[in-house]
Amino acid sequence: MDNHGIARVARTARTEEQRQQDLDKIQKYKQLDDAIRDKTSRHAYDDPTLFPLTSKLLRLNPEYYTIWNVRRRCLTSGLLSRPSAGSWPSTASPSTSPSATTNPSSAVSSSSSSAAIPPNPASLTTGKSGTTADVESAVDSTDADSEILRSELAFTVPLLLEFPKCYWIWKYRKWILEQAILRLPRPLASNVWEGELALVYKMLVKDRRNFHAWGYRRYLVARLESADLLGRSLVEDEFAYTTKMIRGDLSNFSAWHNRSRLMFRLLDERGADDEARAAFLDTELNLVQEALNVGPEDQSLWYYHRYLISQVIGSKGMPTITPNLTDGRKISYLEQECEFIRDLLQDFPDIKWPYEALLEYALALRKLRPGIKGEEQEDDPNFWLGKLRKLDAMQTGRWNDVERDIERQLADSII
Amino acid sequence: MADLKRLPDELQLATAQHVRYIQSLDTRKDEYDYWLTEHLRLNGLYWGLTALHLLRHPNALPREETINFVLSCQHESGGFGAAPGHDAHMLYTVSAVQILALVDAFDELEKRGTGKLKVAQFMAGLQDREKGTFAGDEWGEEDTRFLYGALNALSLLDMLHLVDVDKAVNHVVACANFDGGYGVNPGDESHSGQIFTCVAALTIAKRQDLIDKDRLAGWLSERQLPNGGLNGRPEKKEDVCYSWWVLSSLSMIGRTHWIDREKLIDFILRSQDTVDGGISDRPGNMVDVWHTLFGLTGLSLLGYPGLDEIDPVYCLPKSTVERVLGKSM
Ligand SMILES: [Zn+2]
Repeated sequence: MDNHGIARVARTARTEEQRQQDLDKIQKYKQLDDAIRDKTSRHAYDDPTLFPLTSKLLRLNPEYYTIWNVRRRCLTSGLLSRPSAGSWPSTASPSTSPSATTNPSSAVSSSSSSAAIPPNPASLTTGKSGTTADVESAVDSTDADSEILRSELAFTVPLLLEFPKCYWIWKYRKWILEQAILRLPRPLASNVWEGELALVYKMLVKDRRNFHAWGYRRYLVARLESADLLGRSLVEDEFAYTTKMIRGDLSNFSAWHNRSRLMFRLLDERGADDEARAAFLDTELNLVQEALNVGPEDQSLWYYHRYLISQVIGSKGMPTITPNLTDGRKISYLEQECEFIRDLLQDFPDIKWPYEALLEYALALRKLRPGIKGEEQEDDPNFWLGKLRKLDAMQTGRWNDVERDIERQLADSII
Repeated sequence: MADLKRLPDELQLATAQHVRYIQSLDTRKDEYDYWLTEHLRLNGLYWGLTALHLLRHPNALPREETINFVLSCQHESGGFGAAPGHDAHMLYTVSAVQILALVDAFDELEKRGTGKLKVAQFMAGLQDREKGTFAGDEWGEEDTRFLYGALNALSLLDMLHLVDVDKAVNHVVACANFDGGYGVNPGDESHSGQIFTCVAALTIAKRQDLIDKDRLAGWLSERQLPNGGLNGRPEKKEDVCYSWWVLSSLSMIGRTHWIDREKLIDFILRSQDTVDGGISDRPGNMVDVWHTLFGLTGLSLLGYPGLDEIDPVYCLPKSTVERVLGKSM
């Protein structure tokens, strides 16, 4: 129902034989679905034959989200041990009101069906590890849980590789990982979580822009850093990871983006003073200049350059990595970068991105030097705007608005 | 739209074919794909029905059957699943509310469903009252798609007071990036689909003042490629559905004139199947109801003749939104 990138074929192309094959497939699929519905309608989540049926169906159709939920209910209805009452973190679930969010038709008879929601604490005391001080059985249940959770992670890997954009698989995987925190000793859980970084690495090699995988990586890192798992910062490692990704492929916008988001914490944690921050900014500017010399037509690089300049100029209410730059220093940064870009234009006069940057920076310079109207044409935003009009006529409406704003800005500064 | 007259015949809107295509969708039970996509049935009905309304054939699907099907997807919790027997989830609950709004049938919720209060409570219960975020269902995972869906449906039901709108707004603001766009969660890169949900959520909350409009519009208008189509992120391919995500966002902040409308109209029309109906992600590909709707909504925002006006915030016909919000206010 949501086709992307599939070539159009005539709809009448199906032969009678193909139609018959379709009907056979449908029959098998529906039999499987009916078998599962038969058990779930009776809330028979502890029926040992139900779990393997969900594996079968999910391999045919991982988008069938209800079946992932059935699988979760199977796990929390006997396959996994019950977590001890003390191990429920207060933030285990975003859902604050179980009565409003739990589907009653499925929750009635299975008190543990909503494992993500802290159930009635009274029901937890019946759990294995909650009451009996039997150390041996606790160890056994940990081993068993660990094995089940690892096997669940393994189950989703081939599905993720085949359907890397299926939200429900990613979501299930996160749920399994949260179960590891709830049910396994911290070192073991941390171990499981760290293993996930390798999977994301693999996914990002396959598709370097997959935003599910990038988002998943940020989620993993945030959880690994929390007191539930490692309890230490990974910001240096993550920053190094973006360097590695960028070195492998300059136009990886997602990697540049992540880099831009990490640097605040990076500098804070390094305890960087103003000079260290300025030095950091210089290094980053050098890095992106180097990249622009190789790929001046690359949008990712220009966004990153403009991002760094936004850190120099600062915008209202937004924190920047270099908060204490003097106006004089800001001006010299801007002049230095404008000069670099103008040099680039000597070799690449027909790419629009450098002109957009020059327009933006010329406007910023005007604001920083009120009253001083540059003598050179390159100080005039309208000069760059004229170039943009020629190179990108599709955005004529935008350039008209920009021109109006420039005039307004000029009028304001004269008054 | 005088310029459109110079377009060749095959670049006209194939209205009759699109209507027939949408009507045929529920008759394909002998196709394996029909069963594999059951988890999208209620969304599919919303997509198809909205498309039919835009095409000015609002009665091309029978109203009574539509309402019956929607109500058959409801759970006692008030939430809706994708089809009968599928678990309740925010995405389908929003579709259900939108369909009932389209066919003017909120009263059926009271007569035959759980009542609209319970529907609203289901969605409100998915908000994290500390962070302002919304989960899709009891199994967690937050996404600005769910936050938008909740604000959309709750405002249609006149039940926005059940949630903490200010906290939701704060969360959306935390998802903003330097480029003016928004991501799935704080820290995630800007993505056109997510930008639509965040800008629409802020519009419903009457907090457009928090949007960096010029910067965002600049990023959005850079999404147009030389062939006229729009992409979702830098360095990605064009796709008809971004005609909606990008253009509706531009429309909400009053900047649709920043892109080349003639070229986008041409791109969408070239993605039509003018024989069997439907629109695909790009010219020559397989059509589906999702791209059919978002191709039509794109054309509608561009003022293409023969189509009803779409509301860029709710993704419903303007007339529907005016009727529903007018009634509740
Ligand atoms: Zn698409």
